[in-house]
Amino acid sequence: MSRTLVGRTTSITAVALAAALVAGCGGGGGDAGDGKIKLSIGIFSDFGYTNLIKEYQAAHPDIEIEQRTVKMEQHHTQLATQLAGGRGAADIVAIEEGNITQFRQSKDKFVNLADHGAKELEGQWAAWKWNQGTTDGGNFVLGLGTDMGSLALCYRRDLFEAAGLPTDREDVGKLWPTWQDYLKVADTFTRKTPNVKFVDTAQNVYKAILDQTEEGYFAKADDSFIGDRNDKVKQAFTLAASLGEKKQTGALAPFSQDWNVALKQASFATTTCPAWALALIKAGAGDEAAGKWDVAAAPGGGGNWGGSFLAVPKQGKHPKEAYELAKWLTAPEQQKRIFKETGNLPSEPAAYQDPEVTSTKNEYFNSAPVGQIFGNSAENLKPTYRGTKDSKVTPVFNNALSRVETGKQSTSDAFDQAVQEARDAAK
Amino acid sequence: MTVAPERAAGRGTTPLPPPAQRLSWRDKLGRLDTKYTPYVIVAPFFVVFGIFGLYPLLYTAWVSLHEWQLIDGDQGFTGLANYTELLSDKNFWNALGNTVSLFLLSTIPQLFAALGLAALLDRGLRGRAFWRAGVLLPNVISVAAVALVFAQLYGRDFGIVNALLGFVGVDPVDWRASTWASHLAISSMVMWRWTGYNALIYLAAMQSVPKDMYESAMLDGASRWRVFWSITVPSIRPTILFTVIVSTIGGMQLFVEPQLFDPGGTATGTGGDDRQFQTLVMYLYEKGFRLFDAGYSSAIAWVLFLVILVVAVVNFTVARRIASKG
Repeated sequence: MSRTLVGRTTSITAVALAAALVAGCGGGGGDAGDGKIKLSIGIFSDFGYTNLIKEYQAAHPDIEIEQRTVKMEQHHTQLATQLAGGRGAADIVAIEEGNITQFRQSKDKFVNLADHGAKELEGQWAAWKWNQGTTDGGNFVLGLGTDMGSLALCYRRDLFEAAGLPTDREDVGKLWPTWQDYLKVADTFTRKTPNVKFVDTAQNVYKAILDQTEEGYFAKADDSFIGDRNDKVKQAFTLAASLGEKKQTGALAPFSQDWNVALKQASFATTTCPAWALALIKAGAGDEAAGKWDVAAAPGGGGNWGGSFLAVPKQGKHPKEAYELAKWLTAPEQQKRIFKETGNLPSEPAAYQDPEVTSTKNEYFNSAPVGQIFGNSAENLKPTYRGTKDSKVTPVFNNALSRVETGKQSTSDAFDQAVQEARDAAK
Repeated sequence: MTVAPERAAGRGTTPLPPPAQRLSWRDKLGRLDTKYTPYVIVAPFFVVFGIFGLYPLLYTAWVSLHEWQLIDGDQGFTGLANYTELLSDKNFWNALGNTVSLFLLSTIPQLFAALGLAALLDRGLRGRAFWRAGVLLPNVISVAAVALVFAQLYGRDFGIVNALLGFVGVDPVDWRASTWASHLAISSMVMWRWTGYNALIYLAAMQSVPKDMYESAMLDGASRWRVFWSITVPSIRPTILFTVIVSTIGGMQLFVEPQLFDPGGTATGTGGDDRQFQTLVMYLYEKGFRLFDAGYSSAIAWVLFLVILVVAVVNFTVARRIASKG
């Protein structure tokens, strides 16, 4: 009798507690009490959506939009756990180009935007951008392209002048039609000004070179790992590592705190710069460096680095409305406006070939015609194939380059170790 | 149960007077109350622990027996495959070695420093409250902020630590590049955060040591040093054991400090370019949340749990012996 009494008390307590906890856990998403459809959009850094969202809400009084911003490095991990848990993800989520391959294999957690008619939008984007956002031979539309990175090379005019190099951006671009030429410029620079590093990090040079090849770590045909026998990988690695061996790099982790300090101290002269990096350089170098940095064409022709997509997770309650919003946000008119407000480069020819965009100059970068430079680079683009496990393999090679830069390993030892580790990571 | 026959007997023969029966009921209720109420009161803890502690623990064990992709979930039962792979994974042993090294480097000096600090605070200092609150400050500050500041202090090219070393003629150290330098830097971060906290715990214990013991020791002509080791330390033995266990658990789970010390951050950080300061939890995070291999990650979590258990028991035994000898 006593036993059951206590048993009952505890079980009642347990049930009450559990109920309270469950109630506490629930309540994510849902609609506002006023009958409005509530949509959330999960992004990282600045997508330039704040004004556009206000406009969209004004045009659609029945829709309320909430913008959720987290740091980029947390964004994709958070999204992965939300997809795994089946709840918590925003109605629309941004996915960065380097991460989208990873989510492609979990496509059944996402809405196939083709079901809502996305395929008729295909012509809006540069073909490579559209393809990056699709899978299953183009039948499954995972995400609609937002911006792109394109690729240029930023350099410091005052440091180039000190080293007796040309400073005009056209002339600078002509110095390095290929990456081999870029290395020669590095040698000249180091001879003249041995105390300044020519480039911030070998990692970004490596990425830029590799992204200009058609295939990198994985075969286009069957997604199998070819990083160990693809000569292009070894060539790109050796080229970039040679800068590190000659101590011509700052051996900095890209976009880290140290990188910012080095920018401020003007301790390196060049850096690879996709369109979105301009804002980072400006923020790091500060106002006193205004007009000192400039933008030239990158060696080896055009390229792309970065840019994102908007996808709609299946767990959301309003896939149709979410798709409509994503479609609107990624349309050329809106991309053009975002470019003007934030500098994020449009990924649609109708936007990046628009005179309004091509005539844009960036005052901080010595009034470089960034609209034109980045637009051209995107036109000449040979898209590289990214395998499903690309993001697992990439850090392995970056670490290897870092070991060369810090003098811990020779280029060939570092490469051999990286290939070994990459094989494991790609298993 | 024991009262049942009595009651049956009472009912069968002469009925007991009603007040007595009521009393025995109240009595029984009272006894039930004293006996079981404590359990009812502590029950919520166990219920919450069951939901948020035990259940995830068991679920993790279940996941670790599968090939489990973070997003797509179960890819098939594989038994102990994750564990056998783990045992031959050199990155795992590397992470275990780093964790132990960081733990020893940060915990041992930290606890001794905390003891010394507590002894100083225990003396009649002027502005006592100020000093006592002061030592806790590093612990109150967000770990992310601490890591950010230390990352700058230990900057390779423009860090203050290297600048100071330069004054005494030492070449700049690349604090992230080599194993020893990175371990020292990270340990200093951990010590900065936890020394004051442990000192306050020791101080609280020291204040409950009877003063007459000190007085008689002083009368016998014992030095302060002798008094400290022969009276203070043995008297606060249980507290020392407590801090050793808590530091062990914390030390083996070290994650935020080294992760934020890595310029690659949480997105691509592997604890340095050669995993020179990757701890077990960092490896768990890399496998589970960057490479999406939740099964393997869960196996690491369970092994980590067992390692902590073993280390805690060893520490407990060793610390008890040392403390009792003192």
